[in-house]
Amino acid sequence: MLELESVTYRYAGATEPAVHDVTIRLAASEVVGLCGPSESGKTTLCLIASGLAPRAIRGTLAGRLLVDGADVAGRPMHELVSRAGICFQDPTTQLSGVNATVYEEVAFGPMNLGLPRSDVVARTEQALETLRIGDLAMRDPSRLSGGQLQLVAIAGLLAMRAAHLILDEPTAELDPAGTRLVGDAIEELAAAGTSILIAEQRTDLLARICQRVLILRGGRVAFEGPADEVLADPRLEELGGAPPSAVRLRREAIAAGIDVGAVDRAIAAGATA
Amino acid sequence: MAVGAENSARLGFQGPAGQTWYQRLNPLTKLVFATVTAVGAVLLGGVVGPLLLVLLAVILPAVVAHVLGRLVRTSLLVSLPIGLSALIVNVFFFPGGRDVLLQVGPIAATREGLEFATQILARIAAISGAITLFYLTTRPSDLVLDLERRGISGRAAFVANASVQTVPRMVELAAGNVAAQRARGLDTEGGLLARVGGVVPIVGPVILGSIADVEERTMSLEARGFTRPGRRTLLWAPADSAPERVARWLLILALLAIVAARATGVIG
Amino acid sequence: MTEPTPAPSNSPSSTAESSAAAHPPADVHPPADVHPPADERRPGRIALIVRLIGALAAFVVATVIGVYAVGAFGEKPNPELGYSVSGANSFALLLAIAMIAAFAVYALLEYRQTGRLASISSQFDTRTIVLMPIAIAFNIILGQAVGTALKIPIYLDSIGTILVGALAGPIPGALTGFLANLLWTYVVPPPFHSDISGAFAIVAAVIGLLAGTFARLGWLRPRPNRSDAQLAIGGAIAIAIIFVLGYLAYTGYLKVFQGTSLTPASDNPVFLALAWAGLALIVLTVAGLLWLLFRGRDLTVTYVVVAGVITGIVAAAISAPISANVFGGVTGAGTDFLVAAFRQGGADIQAATLGQGLISDPIDKVTTFFVVYLILKAMARRTKARFPQGERLVEPPPAMEPASATIEPASGATA
Repeated sequence: MLELESVTYRYAGATEPAVHDVTIRLAASEVVGLCGPSESGKTTLCLIASGLAPRAIRGTLAGRLLVDGADVAGRPMHELVSRAGICFQDPTTQLSGVNATVYEEVAFGPMNLGLPRSDVVARTEQALETLRIGDLAMRDPSRLSGGQLQLVAIAGLLAMRAAHLILDEPTAELDPAGTRLVGDAIEELAAAGTSILIAEQRTDLLARICQRVLILRGGRVAFEGPADEVLADPRLEELGGAPPSAVRLRREAIAAGIDVGAVDRAIAAGATA
Repeated sequence: MAVGAENSARLGFQGPAGQTWYQRLNPLTKLVFATVTAVGAVLLGGVVGPLLLVLLAVILPAVVAHVLGRLVRTSLLVSLPIGLSALIVNVFFFPGGRDVLLQVGPIAATREGLEFATQILARIAAISGAITLFYLTTRPSDLVLDLERRGISGRAAFVANASVQTVPRMVELAAGNVAAQRARGLDTEGGLLARVGGVVPIVGPVILGSIADVEERTMSLEARGFTRPGRRTLLWAPADSAPERVARWLLILALLAIVAARATGVIG
Repeated sequence: MTEPTPAPSNSPSSTAESSAAAHPPADVHPPADVHPPADERRPGRIALIVRLIGALAAFVVATVIGVYAVGAFGEKPNPELGYSVSGANSFALLLAIAMIAAFAVYALLEYRQTGRLASISSQFDTRTIVLMPIAIAFNIILGQAVGTALKIPIYLDSIGTILVGALAGPIPGALTGFLANLLWTYVVPPPFHSDISGAFAIVAAVIGLLAGTFARLGWLRPRPNRSDAQLAIGGAIAIAIIFVLGYLAYTGYLKVFQGTSLTPASDNPVFLALAWAGLALIVLTVAGLLWLLFRGRDLTVTYVVVAGVITGIVAAAISAPISANVFGGVTGAGTDFLVAAFRQGGADIQAATLGQGLISDPIDKVTTFFVVYLILKAMARRTKARFPQGERLVEPPPAMEPASATIEPASGATA
């Protein structure tokens, strides 16, 4: 269970807090989405949830980060990495830059944690298998596509047995093929019961995997609730968000007078974006 | 998916096939060997000493390791500018040279200068050869892994490995910029001012972009447990053996012997 | 046949104490130093005194051994072979070696006492570790390009060293320089390989040490909008120094460069571009310094010039004996012409290399410090402040975050 309790965060040197009084609860096997325009605080919340803010990023954190009920303020970063693993937008800067193969790149986290060698090998191979990138194991990471790199990054998090995955706009810098690749992988992880906190502007992905969604604006939670309700809520567009294609399709169908039931059945059969 | 035999090889668990026992020596052994040869060449002085070293400590191992051709080509290429420089500067500008061999205008080539120049050339050959042999037979990551196993910190190992990888990466970026600028009509043949102006779009983004990346890379590393104190687990490290340990100590003793010989005047 | 060696296995640590402690929240006014002071975990004054005495003893012992050894070499009967080492010339090198020995002994004692190297590692947070390889790459790439494609006597291989020294501290700066030179020789393949740099690793270490110290003293802090009186004094000093350097360069080069082309020549396009960059740097440095001084009214120009000159002189003093004794005075770079000119004038190798160094190094270092200063000015305040020594590189905090043309860190921290 990962909880952000009334967190307010101000970066060092800034005059205004980036997020204000935000509460998020992420239980095991739950998938929660964060949506909102740029500068609405999505990334900051991801950094707080993973512990990087304020440990690696200077700033003031008011409120609490609770992991399994315990306040982790004052705990060093390396103790939190197996609680929550974070994946960023830019695939290339996430590479360690010192590993010649994908295998070693995925093993990088467990190696840093000082686990016994057999554990490192077992976890690495398990992570590669879960994301089905075993065939990439011997490739040079610097030669992979963006989508493949993101999968390698997520595999690295799985290898650390992170209880919760935090994904900060993982498909934002990918081409359509990469977006599909990563989106499918995340969907499979979600279906398998991984706990995920995902910040995204592409509401289609959120529609597919999230149980709950929070809409952010100006660093505060504008509104939240079950995913299908929130994403179909007209307030989403008022705040500048684009609703998922399924929702748009449904609205167009209603406006055009087409039988909504047929549209719903088509969507349910998997005809999403 | 178990780490199969072929993949073990590529992960470095074993050396690549077709390599000789010289390549499979422990990297530290090869490093000590190269350093002792280079320093020894400097200390020995004269011409005979360094040339002997070149024969025994550079050419012979190169033949054993099947890298003689590459070694000669690479070493010559790299040491050509300094060799040429040493030749010209010392042959023509040696103060106190009296025995003139060749007069070119106001400057004269002297025999003393030639003697000195050959000494320097022999020394450069030994140093260049030894170091080239080292880098042709050793993977940098292997050396760093070995040092890490012996106890240098994981962060120092990271810096060493990352530096080696960053150099070609940055050059690729710069080369990409050069090509892009040429496509945009950068004047690489024009006058001083034109070229100076064209430099900034090439160098600027690489430098500032790399520095801007530091923030994200730092976060990614910390998010993967990089800050944990203490040793990290190594998947693999190069093997070492007792004979090699003995050999390393013998090499160091040999170097100390040369130092003593120089200090006491046994060697000119 | 080698066999895979089982690596030592470690059990995961489960205690909460660590050296990389969580940073306490920072205040905005004034910005607090978030990095725990280096001596937070000092085990005891006695232990510290023991370490200092040990280091001092090592320094003295190393110096004595060095002087004796130098003297022993100097007893050779044939000084014209260039193996005579005049003690005075090599003394700077001896001191540098002794200093490194002292540091090594200090570190060793600290490790024996506490099991870790806290006083050094506190300067090495993750950000520094990430910056160092990038800085080392700067050194190698620019240094190699200038060295092979440009035939004028500058090196431009210390930009990374001085940058790390400024942002992270003297020890990281020293290590950056040291490692860069070693890797440059032992590990980096052609076309970036250099045979000679490894021997000068010590010089690079001292350069990093000096740069870090100057930055720690606040020399690289921008000082804009100073009064006319201050600018007049500072400007006079800076211009006088530049003039002296320029005059030395002019008379030195004049002897040698009739008929030699100053323009870069190479068939590697990247080298060519970078070599032009190097040429441009020197031309622009003088212009830029003066512009900053008069238009920007930035007094730091004087500090930059002085820092460059001091570093240059020290670097020349330490590298001269290495160049003379190991390579006979020539390193394959453009500096060799100068050495030749000095030899022509009748100087022995020692004096020739020192003379060449005293002409090339100050100019090279002033240019490098200037470039580093520009890079620092281009970095956002926020970015600099996160480095261990970043606070010494920014002006005292204003009320509002200045929103000028600065380079922001890529994404991440501001969403």
